[in-house]
Amino acid sequence: MRNRASALRAVFVTWLILAIAGDVGLALSPMPPGEASTLASDESFTMKLLALMAWPVFSAVLAALFCTFVVNRMAPPTAEVSAAELRGNNRIQTTWIAVTLVVVLSIAVYGTVALAMDQPGGGVSTVSAALPQPADASQPLEVQVIAQQWWFTYRYPTYGGIETAQLVLPVGQKIEFHITSLDVTHSFWFYALGVKADAVPLNDNVVTATPTQIGTYRVQCAELCGLWHGNMADSTAMVVSTSDFTAWVQQQTTADAPVMKYLEPYSHTYLEPPAIYGG
Amino acid sequence: MRMRLWLLLGSLVVTGVLVGFFVTRFLNPVPPTIVATSTSQVTNGKPVVNITLTTVAAVGNDGEGKGEHPNWVGYLPTTYLHVPAGSIVHMTINQQDGSSGLRNPYFALVRGTVGNDMTVNGKVMQAIDPGNPGPGHTFTIPDLGVSVPLVGVADDAPAGATNVVTFDFVVPNQPGLYRWQCFVPCAAGTLYGNGGPMQTLGYMAGELQVG
Repeated sequence: MRNRASALRAVFVTWLILAIAGDVGLALSPMPPGEASTLASDESFTMKLLALMAWPVFSAVLAALFCTFVVNRMAPPTAEVSAAELRGNNRIQTTWIAVTLVVVLSIAVYGTVALAMDQPGGGVSTVSAALPQPADASQPLEVQVIAQQWWFTYRYPTYGGIETAQLVLPVGQKIEFHITSLDVTHSFWFYALGVKADAVPLNDNVVTATPTQIGTYRVQCAELCGLWHGNMADSTAMVVSTSDFTAWVQQQTTADAPVMKYLEPYSHTYLEPPAIYGG
Repeated sequence: MRMRLWLLLGSLVVTGVLVGFFVTRFLNPVPPTIVATSTSQVTNGKPVVNITLTTVAAVGNDGEGKGEHPNWVGYLPTTYLHVPAGSIVHMTINQQDGSSGLRNPYFALVRGTVGNDMTVNGKVMQAIDPGNPGPGHTFTIPDLGVSVPLVGVADDAPAGATNVVTFDFVVPNQPGLYRWQCFVPCAAGTLYGNGGPMQTLGYMAGELQVG
């Protein structure tokens, strides 16, 4: 009996040390997807919060398993003691229910508040498709992501509806991505910004994020979409300073000049192609 | 009894070797590849090499490609290209297919070539009108930023009518493998023109081996 009580105490102390040490380690560790945008930071914080709450529970499960498989063999309980340990033990039952309630309700409240505060909410655009939008840092910059087998192109309605094969964004400005597809379903995944949304034909899927770190990033398709799906990625997406962005826009405007008159008028979605195409 | 055991083991070994052989062949196909032909020309210290391709409405049994799908559009003689690293590739594409229309008019723009232009039957162009008559195909290497629309021949053009498209592009100094493809949904008879040859290496998709 004394041996068993000592073993259980040792397991509890070990669990406590593991739980605290693990949570300290998690609190100090970077979490995906990082801090390259406000959206990514929010996601990282959520990941960290969930990890901090999950680790003590997970390690408690491991400790319970250890008790079951090891302690019970080394110092087996008698039937009477085993029953007395749980049945009618109000302290254990109250603690168990209280801890579970706190964990689950905390996550529920946090998730509800985070959803309610999400901007702009539910994939709904805050800007109209009318052109042009002012290039004002206080306004979200609309960037359209057009997926097609197998490349993303981007349109900037604020800047005359130019289209580019490279994604370049100004740092510190809220970006409103409008994501659509011209053929099959793709998924636009800008991991570092925490942006991942399906690109669906005839649909306008909206996600906002504010890039906070200048750098070069990777974007890729995250929906199996055909032969070159694995190559539908680009490691030259950039977040640049406002002045560099302005210079880049001017450069792209010049490059697009020969094709501007042929581009379709900017729209959040584009008409369905004829089912029988090709020839 | 022992003889049967040896026979069984031998059969297993032979079967394993055969399965391994076919799996290896399947995973590592050896497609016909065209190697760029060298020229004596050097521009900005980079050697210029030539590659010539022909697009046709159907590969055909008599075509050099001799593909498994003779009624598919394709690039001939193959879509597997090999060029030296750090070279300037002088491409000549004999466009013999008609126009299909672009899904995204942005691909009417010539991008990533030397001078950001091409010649069509000797005429220098930076973009084409996607509706008149429009491209039959594009030659696009996304990771190198190269995209060239290939003007389709007229619907009533005589057999063998050809638009000769030429352009130059620079490949990296480091060896690498790049995919290239057509961005015109040109696969007749498939949903939205994106099936069959658009999804199959050797027709409207290929690989560019640099170095």
